[in-house]
Amino acid sequence: MLFMAMMSLGGEKPSPDKAGGRQDTDEALLERVGKGDEDAFRQLYQNTDRTIYSYILSIVKNVQDAEEIMQETYLKVWTSAAAYRPQGKPLAWMFTIAKNICYMKFREKKHEADVGLDDLTGEETGEFCPQLENAADKLALQAALEILKEDERQIVLLHASAGMKHREIAANLKMPLATVLSKYNRAMKKMEKFLGKEE
Amino acid sequence: MKRSTIEYHLKSAVDGLVPDVLDRIDLKTPQDPAPLWQDENERGKVVSFGKRFRAWGAAAAACLCIVLAGNGGYNLYLNQVTDSVIGIDVNPSVELSINRKNQVLEVTPLNEDARIIMEEMDLEGVDLNVAVNAVIGAFVTHGYLDDLDNAILVTVTNDSVSKANVLRQEVVEDIEESLKENEVQAVVYDQQVVENDEVKELSEEYGISYGKAYFLQELINQNSSLSMDDMEELAGLTMEEIAARITESSYALGERTEIQETPAPETSETPETSSEEESSSEESSPEETTTEAQTTTEAPATEPETAVEEEAENRLKIDFVDYNNGILSVYFTTSVKWKDETVSIRGENDESYAAMIEETYSDSCEIRVSGLEGGKTYRFSIGGVRQRQDGKPMSVSGTFEVPVISEEATEEETETAAETTEPETETEASAEETEESSSAADTSQEETEPATEPETETSAPEESSSQEPESTQEESTAAETENTEPETETSAPDIPESTKDQAEEQDGAGYSAHIEEAEETAQDAAPEETQEQ
Repeated sequence: MLFMAMMSLGGEKPSPDKAGGRQDTDEALLERVGKGDEDAFRQLYQNTDRTIYSYILSIVKNVQDAEEIMQETYLKVWTSAAAYRPQGKPLAWMFTIAKNICYMKFREKKHEADVGLDDLTGEETGEFCPQLENAADKLALQAALEILKEDERQIVLLHASAGMKHREIAANLKMPLATVLSKYNRAMKKMEKFLGKEE
Repeated sequence: MKRSTIEYHLKSAVDGLVPDVLDRIDLKTPQDPAPLWQDENERGKVVSFGKRFRAWGAAAAACLCIVLAGNGGYNLYLNQVTDSVIGIDVNPSVELSINRKNQVLEVTPLNEDARIIMEEMDLEGVDLNVAVNAVIGAFVTHGYLDDLDNAILVTVTNDSVSKANVLRQEVVEDIEESLKENEVQAVVYDQQVVENDEVKELSEEYGISYGKAYFLQELINQNSSLSMDDMEELAGLTMEEIAARITESSYALGERTEIQETPAPETSETPETSSEEESSSEESSPEETTTEAQTTTEAPATEPETAVEEEAENRLKIDFVDYNNGILSVYFTTSVKWKDETVSIRGENDESYAAMIEETYSDSCEIRVSGLEGGKTYRFSIGGVRQRQDGKPMSVSGTFEVPVISEEATEEETETAAETTEPETETEASAEETEESSSAADTSQEETEPATEPETETSAPEESSSQEPESTQEESTAAETENTEPETETSAPDIPESTKDQAEEQDGAGYSAHIEEAEETAQDAAPEETQEQ
């Protein structure tokens, strides 16, 4: 049975699709990581850091938190890689880890400060992304994070920022492709409208 | 801002923001072991469950197998166990060991003849009837069963008497059918036996089959004229020769033995030969009869019957025995059935006499016997009789005494008419002859005349000339002779009366009185008397 699974994976490998190819590689890497392969982990990190960061950022809308959560996420990936059950969607697995950590963070913050998420984000967005030098980049990102809803943010960031295809997004977020496309279009229209107003 | 621009800026922004946290991740952090639900383990778990299930299944299947195999194996074992042994003796002796399904398990040739025949045959696993057919067929093709006299001994050995009985009937039927197919006639002796160490030793000692040993032992036991010393001689004979001996000497067969004869009359050995003997004795007797007829005429005057001694076996008892004029009548207390009846009569010195069962009735039989001497005790044994209710064939035996010839009559008559024939009568084993023999003498004399000695010729012509018509008449009816022969009345009256008296006495004692016969015999005397006169 295991052998059959490997064979089917092997069958998917020669896919010309770049992302698909990367995903398959991610899967193989993740398995190696599960066996304690540090090189594989580094390679996996290189392959996925932008996607994971975009995803986390789309959730927490906070650069600092995103960075922290990203760190925790990758640590979790490292420690739990052995538990990964190969099913062709390593990113989805990693997204789940990231999302869980994000929600954990929210609960902690909410508990500590007894304040809403909006307050938190609002607090920090006062001085939005000081690391970003390009004002247009800063503006676009801020707009995306502020005016879009969570699922829209995820789709927009994963597609525009992380470079994922709609199909991959649909697969990893467990949404129909049509939904992803329509949400993306609507989100971009919102962005265009918002940024056009801003301009 | 256009969509593409927005996308570009978003990308650029994230590119600038993506932190490099790789270095900050402590890869020394121990990795969690794969949880139980994790793929491999989970699969392992499934497998292990499957394994466990399979293990239980295997165990259950094994149990089932053991039960089935045990049952089937036991059945198989039973089928490999010898249930019965069928022995077939001609001269080649073969033993067929069969299982409870009547399938041949083993074929054992018991002598060289059989070994040669059986070498060509593979009968193992074959049904008994097929095997029997094949064996008989092989005996025929090898010339052991031919057109001439044949005898086959079938021996069934089984612990269960009823099973053996059924089996033996089946085998005999098979053999008879096979013989018919091969157009061979044979006497089939069949017996059912039980394992007996003594017989086994005998069979080993003489190198004969168990069945033959049993048969011979029974034969010796049943016939006092035979002793174990004869065993060696008999063991060397083929069944055909043994059968010839049996018929020749009218040996009684063992009670467990039955004779089946194939339809052809030529081979019906036992009865035939005895009848042959009978006829031959009759033929030879004529000489005496001329003289002896006279002597016997007085017989009724003396005691015609003798003490009866019956061998009670399974309640089959002899009521009484009546000897009269060469006819021995044996009456049983219960009604009986007859099958392949045999009889043998032996004298005090174990010499045997020609005898034949002439008639069988529901409670009695008439045995024609010749060559008996007056005043002597003889022993008879009858085989092939069974009680009506309980169908077990058995043999009964007893003794009887031939009446002493009355002195005067014999003296007178021998003096007058039998002078010349006297020596012959003595040589003829002093057979006491009845009216039949006298009549037989008359009729057969013509035939035997050339063969008989010249001495008889001197007296014979007279007798034949004078007696012939009368004796034949006598034969036809006793009453007639009475009328036709008034002279007999002169001498006869005394005799019948005495016989009557005796008969009455005997009746009282449970013996039958045959007044008619007495009269007849009285009349028998008449011709002679007339002659003398």
